[in-house]
Amino acid sequence: MPRSIRWLLAALALALLPACATGPRYAEVEKTLPKVAADKGRVWFYRSGIMFGAGIQPSVLLNGEKVGDSVPGGFFYVDRNPGSYEVLLSTEVDRKVTFTLESAQERYVRMTVGLGVIVYRVYPELVDPAEGRKEIVETSYIGGKDKK
Amino acid sequence: MIGRAPYLLLIAAFVAACAAEVARTPSVMQPAADGYPRLLELGSPAEVFTGTGYNRVLAAGTRWRLTGSIAQGAVYRASEGVLTLEGANIHEAYLVVRDRDLVGFFLPVEKAYSPLPQAVRLSISNP
Repeated sequence: MPRSIRWLLAALALALLPACATGPRYAEVEKTLPKVAADKGRVWFYRSGIMFGAGIQPSVLLNGEKVGDSVPGGFFYVDRNPGSYEVLLSTEVDRKVTFTLESAQERYVRMTVGLGVIVYRVYPELVDPAEGRKEIVETSYIGGKDKK
Repeated sequence: MIGRAPYLLLIAAFVAACAAEVARTPSVMQPAADGYPRLLELGSPAEVFTGTGYNRVLAAGTRWRLTGSIAQGAVYRASEGVLTLEGANIHEAYLVVRDRDLVGFFLPVEKAYSPLPQAVRLSISNP
């Protein structure tokens, strides 16, 4: 087998390695999570449990600060002061999402797996709160930098 | 010796990853002048060709709240939900409306105006 093909197969196998979140489900911890302070906003981060690209678990950077990891089937949140924010994942291709955050506002950032030319890649999307609230219940709490 | 295939694939991946960045120019939002409707409600969907390859459809019934104004028109943000403009990156975006035409987007984080290649007439049915 040509070395180039073996290299591609190895990359594909790495991308398919199962490594999903194992924390408590959203419904189990929802009531225990502290309410967001009146002068803060909350940013939720979540990723579906789809197995494609499960081996790719980049760091999640909020305004350049690592706040957690993108784990399949996992969610976490951070509370921050109102202002402008930028989310970036440490994948092979930088693709950021920018948004504003207001007091008592909740933002949902979904991390989606896309198929690149060679391997799967993960990128962030800002989604409607209604959509985010619906999708996040399928995920498990993995804790972020603000984990209590 | 490794063949050229891996290098060609890498180049292809690099090119595919390089979606066009959202075109924009710096802009400063001011408080909205009198005369603009405080709220817009779309009576029918509006299909928006952004020129980045990631088009948007503004759904009928969506409401947009007056937030300010820039030189190109009045700025409205989604009353519920979120609108993003997508290119190489994804940006939260507000509508820029002039005489019932959607002429572009205001990017609040970048403080910039992103014009549409072609204005879109909005069907507005205010409550």
